[in-house]
Amino acid sequence: MRRLFPSPEALRRRAPFSRWDLLVIPGVLALLALLTLALEGATAPYAPTSPDLTVSLDPVHLPYYGLRSLFRMLAALLLSLLFTFTYATAAAKLPRAEKVLIPLLDFLQSLPILGFLTATTGIFLGLFRGSLFGLEAASIFAIFTSQVWNMAFSFYTSLRTVPKELQEAAAMLRLSSWQRFWKLEVPFAMPGLVWNAMMSVSGGWFFVVASEVISVVGRERDQYLPGVGAYVALAIERADFRAMLYAGLTLFVLVLLYDQLLFRPVVAWAEKFKFEQSAPEETAQSWVLTLLQRARLTRRIARLPQPLWEWLWRQSARKNRPGAALEPPPRLRSRTRRADLAFNLAVMLGALGLLGVLLGYLFGPGLGFGGGQMLQPNPNLNPAFSPAIARRFAGLGIRPDPDQAVWLSRLCAATQGGTVLEEGLKMLLREPGVKAPPDLKQACQKPLAPEGRVAWPEALEVLRLGLFTALRVTLVVLLATLFWLPLGVYIGLRPRLARFVQPLAQFGAAFPANLLFPLFVVAIVHFRLNPEVWVSPLMVLGAQWYILFNAVAGAAAIPNDLKEAARLYGLRGGLAWRRLLLPAMFPALVTGGITASGGTWNASIVAEVVRWGDTTLVATGLGAYIARWSTGAFNPHVGLGMLAMGLLVLAYNRLLWRPLYRLAEERFRLD
Amino acid sequence: MTTAQTLLEAKELSKTFTTPEGKPFTVLDGINLTLREGEIVALLGRSGSGKSTLLRCLSGLIRPSAGEVRYRGQEVPGPMPGMAMVFQSFALFPWLSVQQNVELGLEAMGIPAPERRQRALEALELIGLDGFEKAFPKELSGGMRQRVGFARALVTRPEVLFMDEPFSALDVLTAETLREELLEIWHAQRMPLKAILLVTHNIEEAVLLAHRILVLSSNPGRIRAEVPVPLDHPRDREDPAFQGLVEQVYRILTAKPALEPPQEPIGIGYRLPKAPIEGLVSLLERVAEGPDFGREDLPRLAEEMRLEVDDLFPLLDAAELLGLAVLQEGDIRLSAEGLRFIQANPEGRRQILAERLLLHVPLLAHIHRVLHTRPSGQAPEERFLRELEDYMSAEDAEGVLAIATDWGRYAGLFEYDYNRGVLMREPVPG
Repeated sequence: MRRLFPSPEALRRRAPFSRWDLLVIPGVLALLALLTLALEGATAPYAPTSPDLTVSLDPVHLPYYGLRSLFRMLAALLLSLLFTFTYATAAAKLPRAEKVLIPLLDFLQSLPILGFLTATTGIFLGLFRGSLFGLEAASIFAIFTSQVWNMAFSFYTSLRTVPKELQEAAAMLRLSSWQRFWKLEVPFAMPGLVWNAMMSVSGGWFFVVASEVISVVGRERDQYLPGVGAYVALAIERADFRAMLYAGLTLFVLVLLYDQLLFRPVVAWAEKFKFEQSAPEETAQSWVLTLLQRARLTRRIARLPQPLWEWLWRQSARKNRPGAALEPPPRLRSRTRRADLAFNLAVMLGALGLLGVLLGYLFGPGLGFGGGQMLQPNPNLNPAFSPAIARRFAGLGIRPDPDQAVWLSRLCAATQGGTVLEEGLKMLLREPGVKAPPDLKQACQKPLAPEGRVAWPEALEVLRLGLFTALRVTLVVLLATLFWLPLGVYIGLRPRLARFVQPLAQFGAAFPANLLFPLFVVAIVHFRLNPEVWVSPLMVLGAQWYILFNAVAGAAAIPNDLKEAARLYGLRGGLAWRRLLLPAMFPALVTGGITASGGTWNASIVAEVVRWGDTTLVATGLGAYIARWSTGAFNPHVGLGMLAMGLLVLAYNRLLWRPLYRLAEERFRLD
Repeated sequence: MTTAQTLLEAKELSKTFTTPEGKPFTVLDGINLTLREGEIVALLGRSGSGKSTLLRCLSGLIRPSAGEVRYRGQEVPGPMPGMAMVFQSFALFPWLSVQQNVELGLEAMGIPAPERRQRALEALELIGLDGFEKAFPKELSGGMRQRVGFARALVTRPEVLFMDEPFSALDVLTAETLREELLEIWHAQRMPLKAILLVTHNIEEAVLLAHRILVLSSNPGRIRAEVPVPLDHPRDREDPAFQGLVEQVYRILTAKPALEPPQEPIGIGYRLPKAPIEGLVSLLERVAEGPDFGREDLPRLAEEMRLEVDDLFPLLDAAELLGLAVLQEGDIRLSAEGLRFIQANPEGRRQILAERLLLHVPLLAHIHRVLHTRPSGQAPEERFLRELEDYMSAEDAEGVLAIATDWGRYAGLFEYDYNRGVLMREPVPG
């Protein structure tokens, strides 16, 4: 409706700023200043001759460290979005690429995230020579790998499930591909993408803490990137409880800031993209979004790129050209069948070639066989990669690797097959921390795998370790479910309580659980508990929240009429659980279980080896194996560990979760 | 009328889809039609006649397997400028405001922003939506949403407007209002709009709007008849001429296609009509209790039972397939068996239906035989689905088996365990 007289409000509309700008303008300026500060720190010079990077436990530095960690998160998130938009779009749009890209994505997402840190540090240091940004990039990349896969999957799935009617409408209106992408596909994918990005960032905090301490080849000490994660690591190394407390407080504030300043506004904004026919009763609200929408300045900034946008828009328009049909004409299709065959053949050959290269890398030339015999593991006698021990071996004429590994084969060569041992060497071999085989002569007689390579018996051992970890994952997820399910139901059935608890659970999921590990270490040592068992709960510490908030959501979503009918027929106790609650909540439980078990697998690398000061607890498992071999340089052992974990997770999901998920989809859907 | 210029033309158009097993099945076969300037043409047919597929072929949304579509003499490789479509489900973009939705088609035409705005506002005003520019589709009622759909189509100033059951998702009153407004716009000639092609399964709607009605047959879809409607707009439903035309369309839809090759005896792969047994029973009961006792006029039956072509005809087909009723001259008449069925008690009905099913539906006879020859008395549904997929797409096979299961369960021929997906012989009592 148009006003007849210019009211005061209409007059004020012409003013460049509103009172909201009083808050927004300083906010934007502060943001820019902080960004500059973080960038400056991240691109500081760093050369092989620079002193080792370290952090200070003085809490005065924590705000700056927090800023740096926050910056890494943000960079990783932007990178994830970029990857999602390109990779998932390619997978959804190019019919041939899909056959390669999607299985690849599936495999990549089951690889352990911290493995990527070891795998890529060298590459990034080489890329950004002389700048700290090399290490920074390695850390960012590790966080990126923790965030990106589910975002890409969500976007891909959305692109494939754009409702047919809207596709037809877009085709009928003759939208160009560019226009359709931004007007139809991205908006449709937005709610899923935002939700997944939020989950990703929640998980990301865990890996920020774990990926800021990086071992670099050629340096004796680990490098501590300025950040809260490095601060935590140093506090753990020094067993400093007070510092841990400060770090926890900082992370609390950071997670809160991220939630309030970034995600609440985005979630509230993404509400409008929900594909639903009627207006929902409750919508997400965010004070920051309201602020931004009402402030003049942000609206002006938002309007700046509009001319460029409009130009791109009109350039891409079809104008008077006919649009594209939704399916290609039949002649074209028969031609593609032959091309498909050729493509499949090429993919298969490529995959076989890659497999060959991979096996060669893992097992060395001869693929683990030499002279018709299976090669035996060639262990590293310095499993802790201690520089001191490496130096002592070097003093006795047995040259260690640059990463301090001392291979059995070198010992055998220096001692003529384990027969001639100096007294000093004998002493050294008996030293704690040196893992020499009990019968050196016998061990040396077997054909050993080439140095640094894997031997087949080791592959079997890794598989066994993997099964241990799988068992642990299964048990703790099950236990966590048993623990949280009743609580989730209790909360979910009380809407007011649920509204209060849901954000808490989400916050719990975001708060990095590795901060609490030391408490467990102290308790395990104090009560003399078996670490093989008692380390396991650590794995699920961060992931358990997914179980809780899915249980709450599931219970809250039970339709009222079902609940009333159950009450009417006097359904209570075990019968109510069997007949109403469990079936109705099944899909939510499966979703929670899938997310939680994924997080648990990933946490195993950090959780199977835990430290507090000088105490180190190790549990037998694949996570501990990978952690032990992560020494700065990517090596076949880490490769084998990652591969084994990737395959195990893939198998775990296929065999356990997929059937359950299908069951949930087909049988227990409430609509 | 023949002097009017041809706008859109289809010649020998066929559309074949491929089953997952790579077997083709034909949805449209040998369609010839022309759309001339100044006319509204309705495509009418039962479900499965491929009328929506035909509309999509003509509009360039999908490509025909054989034959060609020409728009103003030019082959149609995709949606052409000058074409627009209104969808049954509105197909509005929920994240765009009403105005942004309407501007969408203009954006594709590369029209600069100020002009887009101007034209969108004009279109909204024309369609009675001024004041709603900033609203989002989810805030609007169904009727308002379809108005946005119309505005979005008309703002591009199309020559041909395709409409895919545009009123079927609306309530009766709203649909009637919108139909009238469409005719007003059509007659006001404010737009360069030259022709409308309307898909509908509502016979009255077709007679109300169209200058010509093309009736499609099913499986595969062919043009069975063309009914000219020589009445002036606005048309009166009570007009005997109007009712005569409705009656005529019903007759065409119920007539046995005389020109087509003699019907092959039906086999396992026969596409059972999508007639839920409950609907079938209430239809038969209604016919039996009607004023003409055992005989009923189809238009009246459809109106009273609030059934449209898509729902009514499968029921009629099923009744005829089972020999419970006969269709004649736009009427339905119960057969002797049909009367016996209606008069029986529930157990008797069950038995009669079981007999009829085993006699007339080869698929059910086959399932029955398999279950009774197997010692375990059960068979997984996949077994029958595989067999059906020799004749039809996987999706259709599931549909047909679902209908067969519905009928078989009602008649007590067998049981079905949903969780395991297994068909089982009815346990012999004792």
